[in-house]
Amino acid sequence: MRGVLIGLIALVRKELLQTLRDRGVLFMLLVAPIVQLVGLGYAANMEFLHAATVLVDQDRSPESRALCRAFAADSTFVVRDVETVDEAERALREGAAQVAVIVPQAFGRELVAGHPTSVQVLIDGSDPTRGVQAGAAIEGFTAQQAARAHVRWPVGVSGVSGVSALPRVGLVPRLLYNPRLASRIFIVPGTAASILLVVSTIVTAVGLSREREMGTLEQLLVTPLSPLVLMIGKTIPYAVFGLVDATIILVLGNVLFDVPLRGPIDVVFVGTTLYLVATLSIGLLISTAAKTQQQAFMAGLFFVLPALLLSGFLTPVSAMPWWIRPVTYVTPTRWYVELVRTVLLRGGGYRDVATQLGALAALSTVVLTVATLRFRRTVG
Amino acid sequence: MKTPRRSRGAVSVQRVLAIARKEVMHIRRDLTTLYFALAMPLVMLALFGYAVTFDLDHIRVVVADEDTSAESRALLQHLFAGDTFVRAGDVPSGDDAEEWFRRGRAGVALVIPRGYGEHVARAEPIDVQVLVDAADNQTAASVLSYVGRFGMMENERLVRERVGVAPSRIEARVRALYNPALRSALFLVPGLIAMIQSMMGVILTALTVAREWERGSMEQLFSTPVSRFHIVVGKLMPYFVVAMIQLLIVLTGAVWLFDVPIRGSAVVLAGMSALFLLAMLGQGLLVSIVTKNQIIATQMASMTSMLPSLLLSGFVLPIENMPRPIQWITWVVPARYFVDASRALLLRGAGLSAVKDDILALALFSVVLLGACMVSFRRKIA
Repeated sequence: MRGVLIGLIALVRKELLQTLRDRGVLFMLLVAPIVQLVGLGYAANMEFLHAATVLVDQDRSPESRALCRAFAADSTFVVRDVETVDEAERALREGAAQVAVIVPQAFGRELVAGHPTSVQVLIDGSDPTRGVQAGAAIEGFTAQQAARAHVRWPVGVSGVSGVSALPRVGLVPRLLYNPRLASRIFIVPGTAASILLVVSTIVTAVGLSREREMGTLEQLLVTPLSPLVLMIGKTIPYAVFGLVDATIILVLGNVLFDVPLRGPIDVVFVGTTLYLVATLSIGLLISTAAKTQQQAFMAGLFFVLPALLLSGFLTPVSAMPWWIRPVTYVTPTRWYVELVRTVLLRGGGYRDVATQLGALAALSTVVLTVATLRFRRTVG
Repeated sequence: MKTPRRSRGAVSVQRVLAIARKEVMHIRRDLTTLYFALAMPLVMLALFGYAVTFDLDHIRVVVADEDTSAESRALLQHLFAGDTFVRAGDVPSGDDAEEWFRRGRAGVALVIPRGYGEHVARAEPIDVQVLVDAADNQTAASVLSYVGRFGMMENERLVRERVGVAPSRIEARVRALYNPALRSALFLVPGLIAMIQSMMGVILTALTVAREWERGSMEQLFSTPVSRFHIVVGKLMPYFVVAMIQLLIVLTGAVWLFDVPIRGSAVVLAGMSALFLLAMLGQGLLVSIVTKNQIIATQMASMTSMLPSLLLSGFVLPIENMPRPIQWITWVVPARYFVDASRALLLRGAGLSAVKDDILALALFSVVLLGACMVSFRRKIA
């Protein structure tokens, strides 16, 4: 047993030295993640800031002009007036505007008479998220305008003693964990998952295939270490780098993007280690199946992309159709993203992420076992 | 061995084809990679079409009804009437709601204070607290707008119950053009095509030259009377064909599975895709020539192609929201022009004049990248 341990430590040291000397790999393991994090953190800004709006006033009454002026004054809308509906539609088609507001002809008259009025809003559906946001912004805006322009009552309603005698229920929202609704705070934890995934899956798979192609793997087999120990020794450096990357990401995320750390940090590290074991096993599995580096890379990619997209990193898992959910259960990334978000943003502890830790442990065990068996078979 | 200069300089179709055929033989020896290359677009299409969506419903709400009056029950009944909100459970007070958020069992908590029913009956204003888990800011933003709309409607209902009529208001009738059902798929698919193309284009070619450098067969190639022009073009040809097949697969899948329309000219779209492909293939080849090492080539390739296409092309994250310096960077991301133009062509039915700037940009990229390939090839030989 002691001999095995010494051998293992020697192997790990060799691997670490070898990797540290390989500039290309070092770049990929350390610099690339930082670049990705910074780039993504700054680029990811999905909030709705302003919409390019074209306005068609078909009424030209004092009321409609007041409404148009109010639109122009609101900083959410960058407003341009056009003459006809055709021009407005053309602006939308060419992408010059995202929203068109058309004030119909009888608007002013109806408003003064106390009848319900409407304005037509055309949104660019080719970008549904922002289209919906723009539409919602306009709905909110017009509702505000109505309230401001004195609530008018239809002619003939008597017995109403004034607005204050009416029930008014206020639904007051309070935003927890991310009061300014910053996209970054949502995305950065997911970025950590994705960076670690790429490092431990693709880099491992390609690295191990490379060794096999170059024949240096066979050389190692001549040593008195069993294939199992060999496997562990080769993957430990990547695990180390993964943990280093995770730390860097956490620190940078906090310093640059105000991503908080509300929960206990040891939970994060335990979770990260489990996640790394799972993804490294997958990388190992791929390297046993792939015949060339190219294949290893493609297979790695084949796994990484769906794993990322199904993890809830960009879009919420709850929005996915029911038949895709089972697939997300076997995606380690999904559990890790949830874990990181719960601990970092919501201040969760071990009990709150018990499900996630359990799932990661289960996945790790299964994949590691399969990978080990295959490794023994292909190498031994 | 001295080769006559004329045969080195002349552009010979025969030689290009010879190189292309050799490349095809390489590809055929490694069919697995090819299968992956052809299957990946379909997988991505399925993922983006079905899984990656911002459309939300069945939002789980945990309820703390501290009033339990007829009025509070009516409020809850109305809230859960449709598909938007789902009642996840009840807690005694608002303080317990956070635990539900932490465990991920609900995203919203509604806290109805004691005395709600009385206030409504006496027509006095009363506030109901809505706690929103904003860790997921997109969901939270949607929740806010749903809650706002619900509040407006509920108030109208209460007023109408009391007085018999509703106050006048200005309603905004919203209609979405080009995508009336506002399906995320229509938005994502054009950008997805760009992303798949750029990824595959770059990765496939990145692996070819690097592999030859490592094996040593590149030097052997240089000893033949084939000029670098022939090598570049010949090597690119098979991958170009593969990538165009991918495009066909993705478009067919998009149209068939997701009803993505092709409202603009299909010819313009094909031409634009070809240009974009050339630029991407050129980029891959350039990476391959410069790095000479497969591991680094693949990683550089994916970093310079996959990531920018995903993040900086306007595919999922809107460019106009990005900070200025990053917006400048997007100008040198070819995928950005392709995403822009393909959305206009596919969904909005824009004409050639609207996308000609994008097409010019793509042509420029192709020329620059392919030219860089040939230039850097020469440097390596010397």
